[in-house]
Amino acid sequence: MAKFNAMTQEWLDAWKEKIATSAEYKEIAKNWEGSVSIIVNPDPEKGIPEPIYVFTDYWHGDVRDFLICDKAKAESANFVMSGDFARWKQVAKKEVDSTKALMQGKLKLKGDLTYVVRNIKTVNKVIDLLCEIETIWPDEV
Amino acid sequence: MAYDQDLAFVYFGPTKIVFGAGAARDVEMEMAGLGCSRALVVTDPGVMKAGLVEGVLKALGDRCVGVWSEVPQDTGVGIVNRAAAFAREKGADCVVSVGGGSVIDTGKGICILLTEGGGLENFEGIQLLTRPQTPHIVIPTTAGTGSEVTSMAVILDERKKQKILIVEYFNTPRIAILDPKMTEKLPPLLTVSTGMDAMTHAVEALQSTQREPIADGLAMQAIRLLHRYLPVCAKNGADLTARGQVQLAATMAGWAFGNAMVGLVHAMAHSLGAIARVPHGIANGILLPHVMAFNLDDAAEGYAMVAESLGVREKGMDEAGAAGSAVTEMGAFLRRIGHPLRLSETGATEEDLVKAAALSLSDGAIVNNPRMVMDEEEILAVYRAAF
Repeated sequence: MAKFNAMTQEWLDAWKEKIATSAEYKEIAKNWEGSVSIIVNPDPEKGIPEPIYVFTDYWHGDVRDFLICDKAKAESANFVMSGDFARWKQVAKKEVDSTKALMQGKLKLKGDLTYVVRNIKTVNKVIDLLCEIETIWPDEV
Repeated sequence: MAYDQDLAFVYFGPTKIVFGAGAARDVEMEMAGLGCSRALVVTDPGVMKAGLVEGVLKALGDRCVGVWSEVPQDTGVGIVNRAAAFAREKGADCVVSVGGGSVIDTGKGICILLTEGGGLENFEGIQLLTRPQTPHIVIPTTAGTGSEVTSMAVILDERKKQKILIVEYFNTPRIAILDPKMTEKLPPLLTVSTGMDAMTHAVEALQSTQREPIADGLAMQAIRLLHRYLPVCAKNGADLTARGQVQLAATMAGWAFGNAMVGLVHAMAHSLGAIARVPHGIANGILLPHVMAFNLDDAAEGYAMVAESLGVREKGMDEAGAAGSAVTEMGAFLRRIGHPLRLSETGATEEDLVKAAALSLSDGAIVNNPRMVMDEEEILAVYRAAF
């Protein structure tokens, strides 16, 4: 299986492909509409010298833009989630539950939590699919 | 009780507690200790009418720069924005909330706006703030919400016609003054319904998917105190010893659920409140034994701890047996304290239950329920059992 460097456009493309080809996702996510951005705080010691901005867009079971973007684009998303690299890595490896991470201040969310909760199966499925990608993390290189 | 080897959690509870009959008189001293000199007092018309603010104002003297008393039962973004503008105009450097949950949440919103500026509608979210907010002293006049020690505020966005959730560690009240005299005049129904709100916080913390040992300990002691003293308060509201213990229980339950979160009872009570205006504490109390029965197989360990706290875990009883006895005792407890027992008594209709069941699925609290709920029919069945 191909391996991808985390937080790169190739990695995002692979993730998008996973989601787009998942029949289960299509069914679960039929009510979801809106974009989610991920902001990774800089951590030079772990190979993240600058913040990384990721924009992902979902629409009723389909996926639209999955982009490495600039700050302004990231902040334009319906839901803006931010946190340290180590936290994101824990979420992406399912070592930490994303909702728990939010409530405990390990990640930050700007947006309507109730909408996220209403669609928690969609959120969990997106993370499950991310876990299926062979990822090379910058601190493990 | 067993915790996994990979147990990992964050416990957050920075609020200083000042307790005792007459402790509200210490507000000025506590405020000075925070380095503040200009307080905005936030309250509601009912608390004003009950004469509970007078003593606080007298104690504050000229350190009180204004009183905002227009807080309704369910506070809103517009109210907070106007109150914050008033506080800014008066040059307030701290907020003293005297009241129940709605007043306290209004105070929390004002504290954010005094520090950050702007309108509260821009602060919907979780852990967005990056610095300590304006100091907040809370003097609760009910014993139930636990809001005096939590980081959460639930505020109605009048434009969106929905409640928004703001969770901010940096905006947790600095000081809670628990003065039993402030709850002395609460009528019996309000006493038991707010008390059952606290009981529900404690039980749901013990059953939560996020439960942890510190919250568990606080929840168990809260249940013990409520079980012993809430019936006393229901019979004799002037018993300040019992009032004080119930206040402490509510605060401990607040710490417990503020860290371990709540579950399906709250999701259902929130929804019934939104659809049929059923008061939060009453909905919680009525639903609690029914949701416990629903969760029983998935929360036996937590409910066995509830049984221990209620004093109904007999020697030799296994976990499942103890959990079952906790459910039975919770129903009996409701009857003993004179709490409403059926949702049909609250004015809610069967049609309301159908709408509320659908709404419950989108409530944040449901995520932490020990039994995964994905189907509104399951929720409707619980509502019907409680109807």
